[in-house]
Amino acid sequence: MLKFLEFNIQLFAHKKGQSSTSNGRDSAGRRLGAKAGDGEYVTAGSIIYRQRGTKIHPGTNVGKGTDDTLYSTVSGYVKYEHLGKDRKKVSVYIEK
Amino acid sequence: MIKVEVTKNTIIFLGHANYDEYGKDIVCASASTIVMTSIEAIARFDKDAVDVKEENNKLTISIHKHNNITDTLISNMLSCLQELEKKYSKNIKIINREE
Repeated sequence: MLKFLEFNIQLFAHKKGQSSTSNGRDSAGRRLGAKAGDGEYVTAGSIIYRQRGTKIHPGTNVGKGTDDTLYSTVSGYVKYEHLGKDRKKVSVYIEK
Repeated sequence: MIKVEVTKNTIIFLGHANYDEYGKDIVCASASTIVMTSIEAIARFDKDAVDVKEENNKLTISIHKHNNITDTLISNMLSCLQELEKKYSKNIKIINREE
């Protein structure tokens, strides 16, 4: 048994959890992505796809909001389609 | 960085080595072992010769009795710490403040 100190070879080390870091912050997730699936029935004005930039482009009967959100302009069935060689678009058709 | 302030009757240790995270800090381990070994050795010869006070981030060794054994062990501790300082000057610094 030591007289003066508890035996601790990390006597002069930063204690756990004491290290100061300027990181460790993050914003809440934005829940982006598809809100209506292919073949799903949506009403006019419904949001179909939340995105940043145009991962998916607006097709028939689909509008694009200022934050690039795609929404249906009519009630109908959602259809995800190809746009050219390597792009995608989403349309809403009244008939399936 | 561990700052070691040395006067005739006190040796004060301030701060952390910050060589690595807790449990892997070899400079801290070395300094801690040098200090513990030295002061515990002194206490075995004369338990009243030195006293140790530990506060957060500060360790104060007070020398109450100067005799051949105490002075030799203190001097040896300081020279070991100086060797450590030579190799890890970013993590430990010895400041002589002779009164």
